[in-house]
Amino acid sequence: MPLVRTRGIILRSLKWGDADRIVTVYSPNFGKIRGVARGARRMKTRFGGVLEPFGLVDLSLFQKTPESLGQISQIDLVASYSSIRENLTVMTAAARMVKMVEAITVDRDPNPGMYTTLVHGLKSLRPEADVALSALLFQIHVLGHTGFRPQFDSCTECGQLAKQHIPQWFSPRLGGVVCHDCGQRGVGRMLSLSKGSVAFIEQARRLSIPNLSRLKAIGSVRIEVETAMEAYFYAVVGKSLPTFEQWVS
Amino acid sequence: MADITSSTSKANGQPQGLLMRLTRELVRLPGIGQKTAQRLAFHLMKTDTEEALRLAEAIREVKEKITFCTQCRNIAEGPLCAICLDPKRDTSSILVVEEPSTLHAIEQSRAFRGLYHVLYGALSPLDGVGPADIRTHDLENRVQQGGITEVIVATNPTIEGEATAIYLTKRLKPLGVKVSRIAYGIPVGMDIEYADEVTLLKSIEGRRDLG
Ligand SMILES: [Zn+2]
Ligand SMILES: [Zn+2]
Repeated sequence: MPLVRTRGIILRSLKWGDADRIVTVYSPNFGKIRGVARGARRMKTRFGGVLEPFGLVDLSLFQKTPESLGQISQIDLVASYSSIRENLTVMTAAARMVKMVEAITVDRDPNPGMYTTLVHGLKSLRPEADVALSALLFQIHVLGHTGFRPQFDSCTECGQLAKQHIPQWFSPRLGGVVCHDCGQRGVGRMLSLSKGSVAFIEQARRLSIPNLSRLKAIGSVRIEVETAMEAYFYAVVGKSLPTFEQWVS
Repeated sequence: MADITSSTSKANGQPQGLLMRLTRELVRLPGIGQKTAQRLAFHLMKTDTEEALRLAEAIREVKEKITFCTQCRNIAEGPLCAICLDPKRDTSSILVVEEPSTLHAIEQSRAFRGLYHVLYGALSPLDGVGPADIRTHDLENRVQQGGITEVIVATNPTIEGEATAIYLTKRLKPLGVKVSRIAYGIPVGMDIEYADEVTLLKSIEGRRDLG
């Protein structure tokens, strides 16, 4: 399959050599693919400024072998989601989304559900919205799409069915809840996760991204869910995500 | 070509060890991969001693004699760079660039007669480059000292360049200066340093207010 034509979202655009860029794209049919755009940083570039992250593009990629780094022969912008560039908080939320997809997927492993989630996720980002919440809900969906769905129905250590134990714990390493007994014995780092927080995550997962705006998380639920998902995501991919706090100086 | 890195584990010989060390140093340079580094290392090994040492000497002189301007962080041969020392420059405006190469391109175009500020990078929401990494405080301090009426942000037309412009506007506007962004006849994603002189001139003339 030397020539690949596909639509996709640009996850990353890396300066390469003197005037090139390496572009990573997430596509519905091929998953994550990457290619070199020769001369992309020069004045007279045929890529005409469409290689920036978050853009929805149609691209043609030529690859000698599936393992080799391809050459981008053509790329056209379909949508740029320009509202993402309006402020730093929105940009950070978008950066978190593309980073999540980049970190949790492997090259050339198609996952149309993940792709749709990414498109809807970026579309949902508007300066007036609670974009940190959008990014959190997106994170819950991304984990669900990759077989890393957190386990809530039984203890991840002993398999015992989850009962109304209070307090309830979440283990980022085990990726789910831990019963009271196992928690007492100690299974590494544990975070508190109330029944309300578990219910919130379950509900977020059932709703599709465009319908998620109905969901609200307040106070301790929001903090618990954010902390648990961030720690779990880190345990899964071994990389931390961009934070909203990095702009506060 | 022999693969230096894999063959040296078996070989105890000094020469391979030294070549490997050179390769390791070269591979740290931006845009240089393992294969290129090996090719360069072999090339340097075969080159005239005098020619190879000229390179070493040039690197040493750059590191010993060139410093960063304490005011604008441009490259300098003393505490202040040639631009900051020039009495004919307009000291009421500062043009902010990501890299000294962009400063150089703008100087060539003669489109700007004020002072500069070099960030050595740009804020990146994607790569976690924050304000402290590009020392935005240095610029804020310069503006706070007074005498500046306009700051022109000439970062690249990329996500990183945009993020930097937004952040600087937020920080500098409250200090009572005009903050503007150069106009782009320059395509999104490109490096400003590659723009021609006419385009640079138009970009600076056509700058628009931010914030
Ligand atoms: Zn248990
Ligand atoms: Zn200077």
